[in-house]
Amino acid sequence: MAILEDKLTTQGIAEQVSTFESGNEMAAMAAAQINYHIMGYFPITPSTEVAQFLDQMKTRGEHDIKLIPADGEHGSAGICYGAAATGARVINATSANGFLYMIEQMPVQSGTRFPMVMNLVTRSVSGPLDIRGDHSDLYYALNTGWVILTAKTPQAVYDMNIMALKIAEHSKVRLPVIVAYDGFFTSHQKRRVEYFNDRRVVQQFVGECPTDYNFIRDPQKPVTIGAHMSGDDFINNHFQQSEAIYNAGEVFREVAAEYAKLSGREYPVLDLYKMEDADVALFLLNSAAESAKDVVDQLRAKGIKAGIISPNIIRPFPAKEIREALKNVKALLVGERADSYGANGPNLTHEVKSALQDDKENQTIVLSRVFGLGGKDFYATDAQALFDMAIDAMDKGRADKPFDYYGHVPGDPEKILKPVIMPQHGDAFKTGLIDVKMDEETNKLKVKIPPLRALTGKPKRIASGHGACPGCGIFAGLELFFKGIEGDVVTLFQTGCAYVTTTGYPNTSHKQTMIHNLFQNGAATLSGTLEAFMELKRRGEIEVADDATFVMITGDGGMDIGMGSAIGTALRGHKLIMLEYDNEGYMNTGSQMSYSTPLGHMTSTSGVGKTQRGKAFHHKDTAQIMAATNIPYVFTGSEAFPQDLVKKGAKAQWYAQNVGTVYGKLLIACPLNWKSDDRFGTTIVEAAVNSCFFPLYEVEQGETTITYNPEEKNKRIPLSDWLKYMGKTKHLLKDENKPILQEFEAEVEKRWQRLKAKHENPML
Amino acid sequence: MSILPKKNELGFFEIRLESIGGLGANLAGKMLAEAGVFSLGLKGSNFSSYGSEKKGSPVKSFVRFCDPDVEIRDHSPIEQPHIVGVFHEALYKTVNVVSGLNADGIVLVNTARDFDDVRHDLQLEYGALAIVDALTIAVEEKTKVNTAMLGALYRICDFLDPESMRDVIRKTFTKKYPHLVEPNIRTFDRGYNEVQFKTYDVPEGAEGKKFTRALPQLGYMTQEIGGVIVAQANSIFKDLGGSRQGFLPEFQQEKCIHCAACDNVCPDFCFVWEEGEDKRGRKQMFLQGIDYQYCKGCLKCVEACPTDALGNLRELIGYADEHRVKQNFPYLSGGSY
Repeated sequence: MAILEDKLTTQGIAEQVSTFESGNEMAAMAAAQINYHIMGYFPITPSTEVAQFLDQMKTRGEHDIKLIPADGEHGSAGICYGAAATGARVINATSANGFLYMIEQMPVQSGTRFPMVMNLVTRSVSGPLDIRGDHSDLYYALNTGWVILTAKTPQAVYDMNIMALKIAEHSKVRLPVIVAYDGFFTSHQKRRVEYFNDRRVVQQFVGECPTDYNFIRDPQKPVTIGAHMSGDDFINNHFQQSEAIYNAGEVFREVAAEYAKLSGREYPVLDLYKMEDADVALFLLNSAAESAKDVVDQLRAKGIKAGIISPNIIRPFPAKEIREALKNVKALLVGERADSYGANGPNLTHEVKSALQDDKENQTIVLSRVFGLGGKDFYATDAQALFDMAIDAMDKGRADKPFDYYGHVPGDPEKILKPVIMPQHGDAFKTGLIDVKMDEETNKLKVKIPPLRALTGKPKRIASGHGACPGCGIFAGLELFFKGIEGDVVTLFQTGCAYVTTTGYPNTSHKQTMIHNLFQNGAATLSGTLEAFMELKRRGEIEVADDATFVMITGDGGMDIGMGSAIGTALRGHKLIMLEYDNEGYMNTGSQMSYSTPLGHMTSTSGVGKTQRGKAFHHKDTAQIMAATNIPYVFTGSEAFPQDLVKKGAKAQWYAQNVGTVYGKLLIACPLNWKSDDRFGTTIVEAAVNSCFFPLYEVEQGETTITYNPEEKNKRIPLSDWLKYMGKTKHLLKDENKPILQEFEAEVEKRWQRLKAKHENPML
Repeated sequence: MSILPKKNELGFFEIRLESIGGLGANLAGKMLAEAGVFSLGLKGSNFSSYGSEKKGSPVKSFVRFCDPDVEIRDHSPIEQPHIVGVFHEALYKTVNVVSGLNADGIVLVNTARDFDDVRHDLQLEYGALAIVDALTIAVEEKTKVNTAMLGALYRICDFLDPESMRDVIRKTFTKKYPHLVEPNIRTFDRGYNEVQFKTYDVPEGAEGKKFTRALPQLGYMTQEIGGVIVAQANSIFKDLGGSRQGFLPEFQQEKCIHCAACDNVCPDFCFVWEEGEDKRGRKQMFLQGIDYQYCKGCLKCVEACPTDALGNLRELIGYADEHRVKQNFPYLSGGSY
């Protein structure tokens, strides 16, 4: 990007104002100014902020984009596709595995030719999980048929978001477009950025929504979208698509030229830094290219003719321009923040090499290095080191090592990880103080537990030293549940706070075996572990005790995106426990609303302001959904009622070992995002129970029992006595929000009465 | 003419704020950078250390300023700052807060202690030390530590105009929380006025604090493949005392009825129990005390305690170490790192 300062005053440049914002803020700003019709989204770091900023702006009435919180990225892509099929303007933002989860939908969108714009805030793909930035997600996008623009700076994120829509909708293109920018480096670093003062300037630039292609829109013009084809037709469809994406390269040039006139900022196909006479060069994408420019200046001061090539568009790949830029370059190092494992170099290395192949005169030595994975910082000294390799190749006239990694270290054998405590298992977790028996008469379990004091001798399953926030409710809840379980456990933690705070490599807070999987899939994963374990045992290949209990731990977010996996697992009836800690939001990613967030509660995607008042729909009743799968045992619990929870843990173990799947839900406090005092966590969840928002009950073999009835104990309180503790609900106590509170109260009362009816009637 | 007092080789004046999540260092960094960019026409960038850090975990916020004709292309964390602002003293234990500080740099510390004590803990041989009791100011004004720290930082960055920050404070609060405008301006002004300076002579040719880019503990020769960890529960070596923000629970054993209510609600498994005999000779568990190494000061246990055995205590330096009752994990000999 080059700012044409002198042109700023010339005619044609529209009025712009400065702000100091990050890439995510600028993506949201561009979207708000364009005023897209629809955004279907699902939060994932580091792209989440885009939806958050749009929600904040919407709360202030600054745009009317309909923001639809999907049940996962796959769902978000579906929402976007369905919306785009009406010819509406559609935007999305995602990262990493969120992108991979929706990838099935990407070629559907491009192959059936519905334009939209997606911000891909690049981040490493799991596993192992790493939330920081590289380009491994972006490289999966290369073959999806989407046009891909790469934005190096927050300014470019804004500008390209505006250009992207115009390119996508162009009659010669009609393809979806990705704007890719570096997670954290560009998405979160704040810079001075210029934007158009008047959104109409942006809207005029992108123009009217085209209506000259086929949509789901007019009943008088019915269409069939998505007919299946055979190869004879399919190849023609794809030829059209191939033509369209090459056209996008031409259209990019036109749109960028037009945009330069309006903004004063130019985006050539290749951003070439001091390449005119360069002998050695680095080819880098996005933020790293910016950082390396400083090193070019230093090298040039020493008389070394260095330069940087960095594309502004990689689909279509600018082969011709690269060929020209490299005509006289003696050595080029292609540095990539992703690998194509086993391919002797990542994707862009091969694309650059292939571009050069068509120039018979070209003598450039091409080196390839994988660097900066997982957000590993890229310092000036790193750019220097990459240049040194290219200079060495230039001097020798060959590359000693054409492909390698950069920045990896062997490690010191002295510092190898060693066990620190005696493995605790089996008898260590058996107190013999918990007695569970099936009562033949009632066909229900009878549980006897000792005073909780006696159970303090039982070791915790999770070790101290985890990184949860002060006052976090997760671990007290989990440990009380585990107190009821005797013997070994094997746990699976789905992505979420409990996982993240207990497993920051090379540390772990787990005493027994724990496996993580992404939260679409934890229940299915653990069912595989359990069945393999049983099969190994059946074949006599392992000899272990019979009483290991398999527990899948998830947040309420994991029960949104992973609902299908959880229901499938329950329907198959595997002998395992699914335990949900519900803190009423996606707290690990910064408090976005979940389906379990109650009506009117404030989160970072359900803001409170003049045009909206917190979450728009009621909380999900996950326990009832799971009960409808007819598994043998479903329960709810809370640390505020410890004996009740320990007993339920014991029953859960019995059912998981003897009958089938168990599901339990714990309401746990999140002081940070509930905006409540750390010390009141227990008090607040107790109030949630006593207000009948979160009734304590169990569904044992289909029969519902309320295990603690606040009405009978004369403890029932109004909802407001619970809500008053939390900053996220204070607004609900104001007069102006009385209708929302009343609606919430009515829903809670309806669910409570229904539950009581079930309690009283075993047939319900 | 540049208004920046000092610049590194790329033309940047650099500030690093050292804090824990929840104290508002990130916001302070943003406000500082924004003020430089908008009221002085400087170029600037601001960002934080990123990760899944939760409230109470160490965080850094970075601010770069340069003259308007300089391009900001560097994205990397600030390693050799001109100014370090330490929002939370307890960080010294686990973080080298002055790493890479320029020889003529200034370190600002939020503290109620004396210059020489702070200097000793920071291992600061020479250079300028600034101290401000931001916590007390914030408690007295019922505001936040970060506003007081901002006041002090403005005094240090004397090229910034404090009036511009007062404007920002007015703008931020007037609409939604008008009653907070005056206390916040007072907090800012008190930070500005109450910060004190002491310079320890910088000898001729003195070098700045060294910095090292920490290498990971393990490498490709020493990581188990697939990232598997075989050292279960090794987080027990972590010290989380730095997460506390001024308070901890005080335990008085003579008032304890050993009911386990505290243990049931503790998120960090700090309560240490031992088997003993009760008056009638029956085996019972007895609460021995609190392992403050893991205590993040949430005080849930104080709420849960049915007697007065647990109470709030404003933490004084040294109290936790002195009163810590160590958890009795089944350590393996030689198993440490």
